[in-house]
Amino acid sequence: MRKKFQVDSDLAVVQKTSEEVLSFLKPVPLGEAALFDIRLCLEEALINAMKYGNALKKEVPVELDVEASDKEVRITVKDQGPGFDVKRLEDCTDEKNLYRNHGRGVYLIHQLMDEVRYNDTGNTLLMVKRIKVINQSA
Amino acid sequence: MEVKLLEKEGVQVFMVTGEINISTSPELKRQFEKQPSKKVVVDLEKVTYIDSSGLATLVEILKKTKTQGGSLGLSGLSDKVKSLFEITKLDKLFQVHKTQDEAVTRVK
Repeated sequence: MRKKFQVDSDLAVVQKTSEEVLSFLKPVPLGEAALFDIRLCLEEALINAMKYGNALKKEVPVELDVEASDKEVRITVKDQGPGFDVKRLEDCTDEKNLYRNHGRGVYLIHQLMDEVRYNDTGNTLLMVKRIKVINQSA
Repeated sequence: MEVKLLEKEGVQVFMVTGEINISTSPELKRQFEKQPSKKVVVDLEKVTYIDSSGLATLVEILKKTKTQGGSLGLSGLSDKVKSLFEITKLDKLFQVHKTQDEAVTRVK
């Protein structure tokens, strides 16, 4: 199943959008922890796309493409900005950066998702969460 | 998000309920700035969700408390919230305690 969304660059609609995406993903057998991760990464990606990609210009949309199979959930977040180079972000877990509040959202996305990729321009982010089969008899 | 304030053994305890996210974290910061204290516990037992702006707000509160020569402890983190502190290595920055009482005892 697949659904595309167009979202205004308005931080006030972040939660509403993630609720809509999670509601779309309801038929997918994701556990509570995976749903938490997907929600968090989606909201972080949306916020970054709105703030840094589209400079919070409400009329400039963020494009969301959500695709789910029985194996994985794939979420693509595209902004209209010039793109950014993730390699330029400093490691937020480095002791000297722990008090700095920069790059933690992107770091969480890389840690909580199973696959994270940017397009060459750096304005489209693909996040993949694989579905883990829980052995009921275990 | 709801923040309840109480004082225990000279320690200012912020009991937070709900989600600390980009919409609600400014309110947590505001509540903290209204009641600055040198001895602070933020009880997260009833926090169901936290994002990077919530983590950033807690870091700011910690920074301000430490700048004033005070100390701050966190308590009651759910497994999921705790894992976010571990992943981001913020567990190295904060005193993390299981219960509010334990946090109050350590901070006072």
